[in-house]
Amino acid sequence: MLIRILRHEWRMLTRDSTLAIVTGVLAVALASGLANGMRWRTSQESAIDDALREERIRLQTAEAAMISNREQHARVPPFSDPANPDTAGRNMAARYAVMPPAPLGELAVGQSDLLPSVYKVTTESKHTVLATSDTENPTRLLTGRFDVAFVVMYLYPLLILALTYNVLSQEQEQGTLALVLSHPVGLGRVMAVKIGMRLALVAGFIVAFALATALAVGVPLGDAGAVQRFGLWVATVSLYGGFWFALAMMVASRGFGSAMNAMLLSALWLALTVVLPSASNLVATTMYPVPSRVEMVQAIREASDEANASGAALLGQYYQDHPEFAADQSGQTTTDFNLVKLAVDEQIEASVRPVAERYDVQLASQQRLMDRLRFLSPAMLIQGVLNDISGSGVSRHRHFVEQVAAYHEAWRSHFFPLIARKATVATYTALPSFAYVEEPLRDVVQRTAASLLVLLGAAAALATVGFATLRRFTVVGR
Amino acid sequence: MIRRIARKELIDMLRDGRFRLLGGLVLTVALLALAVGWRQYSEVQRQHAQAQAATRQQWLGQTAKNPHSAAHYGVYAFKPKSPLSLFDTGVDPYVGVATWLEAHRQDEFKYRPAQDRTAAERFGELTAAQTLLVLVPLFIVLVSFAAFTSEREQGTLRALVSLGVSPRRLALGKALGIAGALALVLVPAASLAVVGMMLTQANSDVLADIPRAAWLGGSYLLYFATFLAIAMGVSMRAASSRAALAILLSFWAVNSLVAVRAASDLAGTLHPVPSAVEFQRAMQAELSDQRELQARLDRRRKELLAQHGVESMSAVPVNFRGITLQEGENHGNEVFDRHYGRLFDTYSQQEAAARRIGVIAPLIPMRSLSMGLAGTDVAHHRDFVNAAESYRRQIQRVLNRDIEVNSRDGQNYEAGASLWAQVPEFIYSLPTARWVVSRHAADMTLLVGWLLVAVVFAFTGVRSLRVD
Repeated sequence: MLIRILRHEWRMLTRDSTLAIVTGVLAVALASGLANGMRWRTSQESAIDDALREERIRLQTAEAAMISNREQHARVPPFSDPANPDTAGRNMAARYAVMPPAPLGELAVGQSDLLPSVYKVTTESKHTVLATSDTENPTRLLTGRFDVAFVVMYLYPLLILALTYNVLSQEQEQGTLALVLSHPVGLGRVMAVKIGMRLALVAGFIVAFALATALAVGVPLGDAGAVQRFGLWVATVSLYGGFWFALAMMVASRGFGSAMNAMLLSALWLALTVVLPSASNLVATTMYPVPSRVEMVQAIREASDEANASGAALLGQYYQDHPEFAADQSGQTTTDFNLVKLAVDEQIEASVRPVAERYDVQLASQQRLMDRLRFLSPAMLIQGVLNDISGSGVSRHRHFVEQVAAYHEAWRSHFFPLIARKATVATYTALPSFAYVEEPLRDVVQRTAASLLVLLGAAAALATVGFATLRRFTVVGR
Repeated sequence: MIRRIARKELIDMLRDGRFRLLGGLVLTVALLALAVGWRQYSEVQRQHAQAQAATRQQWLGQTAKNPHSAAHYGVYAFKPKSPLSLFDTGVDPYVGVATWLEAHRQDEFKYRPAQDRTAAERFGELTAAQTLLVLVPLFIVLVSFAAFTSEREQGTLRALVSLGVSPRRLALGKALGIAGALALVLVPAASLAVVGMMLTQANSDVLADIPRAAWLGGSYLLYFATFLAIAMGVSMRAASSRAALAILLSFWAVNSLVAVRAASDLAGTLHPVPSAVEFQRAMQAELSDQRELQARLDRRRKELLAQHGVESMSAVPVNFRGITLQEGENHGNEVFDRHYGRLFDTYSQQEAAARRIGVIAPLIPMRSLSMGLAGTDVAHHRDFVNAAESYRRQIQRVLNRDIEVNSRDGQNYEAGASLWAQVPEFIYSLPTARWVVSRHAADMTLLVGWLLVAVVFAFTGVRSLRVD
């Protein structure tokens, strides 16, 4: 019996043009999404290459200049002397801390276009080093990207709803439902087959298409963790699809007409993927608003004023503000100046730290609230999961920034003793370097597990309600 | 006759539970968005204004020091919030809020607010503009997709036509009725928006924003009329209500969701921006090339010597250090103008390309126009960046001139509060509505074009109206 229903359903699906249209649209959308994602990955990697190349050339040039100065006993102004540890640490020897895109980074741009993955580390204060800015067009940041994650989050449900909104109502309106149910088969089983087949076809198509295209264009699936991440991605796509199919079935089981179903489902789609996420964001930013950074800018300014006022007691204000005008260029005055600057910078940072921490605390509170609110909408759940799988989420970036901060400390620990001892930089080749340590895959799985389980639970609950309603479904006499 | 039809349509709609529910939802969301936008605007504007005043006080309160030290102390510029940002926040979350105006450097604006928010920010802010751009067209689709198809399916269309009602009158009447129902939802929201706007204007003039608000209202009316005409046209032609809804929903989904992202990505591919590192490196390379600067300085030296008829620079009655500093600034300014100009031009090219590609969706020009009129697009940011940069250059000119004229080389010269006060306060006012409209002529043309196409579509549908 089951085989007969399956064969019948397959025949009906393939005759109807809807399936062909849906898979066609999905194919085009996924291909564009993947192309955009790959382009984004390439631009990220070339930005990293730009940085490392610039660093290499700069360091080589500085090293050569330093050697030639030494040999020729040239007198060089301190602010352009590569051997001056303050100049080196602040400027000439500065190195980049970079985070390469994760395996499967082309599947979701996520937050990686907003949060920097290249930081220039110098002896400047931490808030200066971390306040880097980017050249991306703000309008493009606002619009968002047409990547695979977008297709999965928004278009995939729409197409599912297009396939399923009339799965029951059409048969009813045509009058064939009564005929089908006159066979010894329950409505529940019929619906299970209809929905199940559609789910298998659509989700299977996406996975197969993604896999095929990825292999064809050479996405590095052999990278460490790539296969596991792809496995997670497949699970996510299937569960998300399962949720929407279950939702469609639950709505269909109430027995409205096709037009009513379409209206209801499109309203639900809008509510769950557009309105609820924006509304939740509104709630979170209203309850835990992160104050404008102008407050921090002012705090830094005031702290600088105070610290500089006391520091200037040691040296003339004029020399402190403009070292190139220091009359005595033997090096003695300026390294005293460097020492003063060290002390001043430390005092500024100490004053600013509580202000900066307030921002972190408030953002953490906002994030905690969002972590609870995200269970209201499958789209919000999926956004986090897809971002985590592709390594373009906030968690991975936070993991990166922690490493950058540690490297910044190490950088300063390398140069500050040199400045204090009034020593010179020996070489530009043995400087501390940064190597990004990828977060363990276990963490990614842990973070995504809760979301996927809730999605599974929600889908199961909706399906159960749907099947229960179908048992009481009356075909005639409506 | 048309009025009668319109009234009937309006009454039908008001009695329809779906309309009441949907309309209520749209109104609630719009009002909520306006309230939150108003609160956010007041809060941020207050913070930024206070910070701007504080930085001015810090400047004026500097102790006596060499003017070039003051140039390095500098001033901060804080981006002001446009009053109409309560309606459409535009790119405000994605542009930096502060920059440091100091000698020898033009810095980018730092601290984008979106970086201090969670990933949910990328779902888009719930602003009144979003409601009007995305939710209201859906509302229009849902209340009007069955305008003709339901009459046809119920059999009343045949009866109406047999009574001698011209299809054109019928279409107009229905459109008017639906428009009336829409107005019932949108007019309260609009009035409250205007009231909110007037409340936010503590001391500055409200009148400045009225032209912008008027253009905004007019443009959105065009946008809604386009959707209404398209919905009518589809309803006239579609074989069934279900088909009409499917077509209209697909159009709405492509319009609201797909088109703008696809166009943005394609435009970004056609006109790529350099990476931040590359941008800085290229600028630094040109800044370090001081050959032309040295040549210019040599020329100035010769001119001065000739002008004062002396043989050595020490006999010249000006401090050449001041001239050196200013020429250095001029050299830097040329480089900054070139590079930042090219970067912002690339953004404009991207937006123009997106508009051309996105001719299939009326949302693209409407969104661009909405952000422009609300003062929250990249063009307004560029305007402020330029204003801040001009102010920075003004500061340098005043200070360097003072060094040139009032000090001598080698002297430990210090200036005081009288010099600081010579630098005027940084006053910025938003561009006028005319400035915006002239820049968005292409968007307006597209919107009007869409309306014309939609109306023609509806009218030709009338002629081929199927009665059953």
